[in-house]
Amino acid sequence: MTTLDSPSTEIPYTAGPPPTPGTTIQGDPQAAARRRDANAAAHSPSLMLVMLLATLGAVAYAVFLLNPDNRGDLLPYTLVVVAESVLLGLALLAMWTVLSSGYNPRDFAYHQARERLFDAPEILRDGATDDPTRWRMYLHDRPVTADIFITTCGEDVDTIARTVRAAVAVHGEHRTWVLDDGRDDQVRDLAATLGARYIRRLSSGGQKAGNVNHALSIAKGELFVILDADFVPRPELLVETVPFFVRDDVAFVQSPQTYGNMNSLISRGAGYMQAVFYRFVQPGRNRFNAAFCVGTNVVFRREAIDDVGGMYTDSKSEDVWTSLHLHERGWRSTYIPQTLAVGDTPETIVAYAKQQLRWATGGFEILLQHNPLSPRRNLTVDQRLQYFVTSTHYLSGIAPLLLLLVPPLQIYLDLTPMRLDVSVGTWALYYLGFYGLQITLAFFTLGSFRWEVLLLAAVSWPIYVKAFWNALTGKQQAWAVTGRVGGATSPFEVIVPQVLCFVFLLVTSVVGLWKHWGDDGLPGLSVAWNVTNTLILGGFVLTAVREHRVAMREQRAARRPQAPARPAAGDSRAARRDRNTRRGDRRRTTVTSGGAA
Amino acid sequence: MTWTTRLKLAVGVVVILALCATLTLVLNRRMSQAVSAQATIVAEEISVGTDYAGTVVETFVEEGDVVAEGDPVFTLRSLVLAHDLSIGMVSRKAATYEVTDEGEMTITAPDDGVVSAVDAAPGGFVQSGTVLATLQRHGTISVDARLLLDPADFARIEEGSYARIVLPDQTELPGEVESLAVQSTRNDAEATLTITSAALAQQAGEGIVLPGTPVQASVELRDDGPLAGPDLAFQRFLTRIGL
Repeated sequence: MTTLDSPSTEIPYTAGPPPTPGTTIQGDPQAAARRRDANAAAHSPSLMLVMLLATLGAVAYAVFLLNPDNRGDLLPYTLVVVAESVLLGLALLAMWTVLSSGYNPRDFAYHQARERLFDAPEILRDGATDDPTRWRMYLHDRPVTADIFITTCGEDVDTIARTVRAAVAVHGEHRTWVLDDGRDDQVRDLAATLGARYIRRLSSGGQKAGNVNHALSIAKGELFVILDADFVPRPELLVETVPFFVRDDVAFVQSPQTYGNMNSLISRGAGYMQAVFYRFVQPGRNRFNAAFCVGTNVVFRREAIDDVGGMYTDSKSEDVWTSLHLHERGWRSTYIPQTLAVGDTPETIVAYAKQQLRWATGGFEILLQHNPLSPRRNLTVDQRLQYFVTSTHYLSGIAPLLLLLVPPLQIYLDLTPMRLDVSVGTWALYYLGFYGLQITLAFFTLGSFRWEVLLLAAVSWPIYVKAFWNALTGKQQAWAVTGRVGGATSPFEVIVPQVLCFVFLLVTSVVGLWKHWGDDGLPGLSVAWNVTNTLILGGFVLTAVREHRVAMREQRAARRPQAPARPAAGDSRAARRDRNTRRGDRRRTTVTSGGAA
Repeated sequence: MTWTTRLKLAVGVVVILALCATLTLVLNRRMSQAVSAQATIVAEEISVGTDYAGTVVETFVEEGDVVAEGDPVFTLRSLVLAHDLSIGMVSRKAATYEVTDEGEMTITAPDDGVVSAVDAAPGGFVQSGTVLATLQRHGTISVDARLLLDPADFARIEEGSYARIVLPDQTELPGEVESLAVQSTRNDAEATLTITSAALAQQAGEGIVLPGTPVQASVELRDDGPLAGPDLAFQRFLTRIGL
C-alpha cells in the first residue's frame, strides 16, 4: 500500500472487486501496458527532434516554393503554391497537435474515482462477485446509472447480436438498449433473447442523432454510451471511462475506433489514416480541450446533452457538431487512446467513398456555416484553432487534384510551375525535405508507413470536391446508388471521375513520352510525375475492377431464382436473404460513423 | 453498373479523348514553330546630306513623311556654293541638285522612302558633309531574328517558310523567311533569319514600326511528323469556324 492509498482504507468500499479474467480493472498489469502502447511514441523525447527536423523541412520547402527567383509560369505555379500551402499548413498544425499528444488525461481525481467506483461490501452482500455486470458504479459516493445505446439501421442480424451480447456483458451495472431504425422484428426478438431493451421509433427523422434523442426520452440514465451496431465493446468500457465524470464539467469521454478487418487495400489505407488520428491527433486535441466525439465508442453525460438541446440533428456529422456545441457551452471533453470497442472499417471503395463523403461534408459544413474562427463563437483560442483544423482538414484531400493537373500543363502547354533552370536535384532536395521527413515521422510514430494511404490520398479528391460542393449548396447527399437487384454496388458507380482522370493521365503520359522521343537524356520531371500519377490511378482502377467482379458475382447470386421445391419456406427465406444482402449494402453507409479527422 | 453510369463513362471517355487530341494538336503546332530569342525591325537607310556648308533655309519634310525620288527635302543657302558658281568652278547643270544663282540649293530625295529622322532645323548652320535627314528606302524594311535551335529543328527551316511577326502592341503580321545564316554555339544552331513582310513594309514609319523596334518572330518549321496531316486538317477546321 502506498501512502497515497492509505487514506482510502478508512472508507468502507475502497477495495476493488476481485480481479476476474477478461477485466482490466485494478491489479491487471497488462492494462497499463496496453494503455501505453497505443501512442507510446508520443511520450518519447526523440519525438521532439523528429518534429523539429520535419518542421525545418516543411519551412525550407515553403521558402523554396515561394522564392520569387524560382517562380515559373503563373497558372501551374499558382496551382502548386495553393495545393502545397494547404498541405504544408495542415501538416505543421498536425505536427503541433501530435507534439501535445503525450498528455495523459487521467489525473488524481480520475484515479481516486476509479478506486471508489465499486462498493465491494455491497457486491459481497449481493453475492455478485462472479458477475461484474451487476456491480453498481459510484461517483462522488452516489450511485450512477448508465445506459448503452446500440444504434442499428438495417445491419446484419449476426453483427448486431455480436455487439449486443458484448454490450450486455460490459462490467458495471448498466442497461443495454437497441435503438432500431431498421424496424426489424428479428432484431427485436434478438434483443429480448440477449437481455437488452428494444426501442423502435415511428419516424426516422434526424437519422442517428434523432434515434439517440428519441431513446433519451425513454432511457433516463445519467450517462449513456453510443455504439454503432458493428462496434463490439470490451468489458472494461464503462470502468475505464466513467471515473472521468467525477469532474462535473466533463461532457463526454471518447475512445478510439479500432478496426478488426484490415484485410483489403481500401480498409488498410482507410484504417491506417485513422490510426494517426486516433493515436496522436485526438490525444493531442485533448490537451486543447478540443477532442471531439466520433459518433461511436463514446460515453456522454446526459445533463450536457440536455444542455445543448440534444444531439445535433441537422447534419449527417452529428458527432462533430454536437461536440462543437458542447465546447461552446463550456463543457470539457476527454479522449483516451485506449481501445474499448472493435469495429469494421470500410472494405470496399463504395463504402469508403460514402464514409469519406459524410465526414468531409461535416467538416466543410462547419467551415462554411459555423466558422470556428468567427468572434461570435464562444471558444478558447486553442479550441478555435483545433476546430479550424478539423473543418479544413479535407481541403488536403482536394489538393492532389491541383497537383495532378500540373504535369499535363507542362506536357501539353509547356507551362512550368518552377523556373526551368531549377535543377531536378535541387527540387528533389527540398521536396524530400518535406515529404521524406513526413514519411520518417510516420515511421517514428506508427512504426511503419503504408503506400495504400498515399494511393487513397491521391485518388479521393472527387469525394472531397463533392463534399465541398454539398456543404456549399446545403445539399444532403442521398445515396441513390445501390445494386439493382440486391447484391453489392459496383464501385464504378462512385468512381467515374477517377476513371476519366486515369484515361486522361494515361493519354497524357503517352503524349509526353512521344514529345520527348528522340531527345537526348531522360524525359523531364513532368513526364516522370505524370507516369507515376497514372500508375497510382491505374492501381486504384484495378482495385475497382476486382471489386466490380465480386459485386457482379453477388448480384448474379442475388438474382438467381430459388429452387421451387418448397415454395412457401423457400420464398420467405429468399426474401429474407435478399433483404439481408440489401441491408448488408446499406450497412456500409453507416458502418463507421466516426469523426472527421 | 447502371446504364446511367455506363453512359457517363462513355461520354466522359469521348470528351477526354477529344480534349487530349486537341491539346496534342496544339502541342504539335507549338513544336512545329520556332520562336526567336531576339528579333528587331531593320531597314536600309539612306542619309541625305550636303557637300557645302551653309544655312538651312527651309525643310520640306517631317519625320514619317513618305517621299518619292526627286522630292525636295531641304533648301540650303551656301556662300561657298555661290562663290564657286560665280567663278564658274561649278556649273548649275552639272550639279546633282537644283541650284539657284544666289547659291540656294534644294536637296532632293535620292530614292522612294520614308523619312525616319530630320536632323536640321531652318536657320541652322551646317558644315559640309553633314547628314541632314535619314530615309528608309522603300521596300527594304524587314526583321532580323536570332533563333536558338537544336540541329534537327534547324534542318526544318527553309527559305520561304511562313513566319509570324508580333509587334510590341501584340499585332500580328505575316511574313516569310528571305534568307538565313547560321553559326554553332555549344551544339545548338544559332540561326539568323531575315524575314520580309509586305504588311510590315506598308506600315513602315507609322507608329512603332521603326528600325530597332523589338518584335517577336516565330517561324514555322517544316512539319514532317506523323501529325502533319491531322494538323493541317485541324488548321483548316479552325479557319473554317473563324478562329
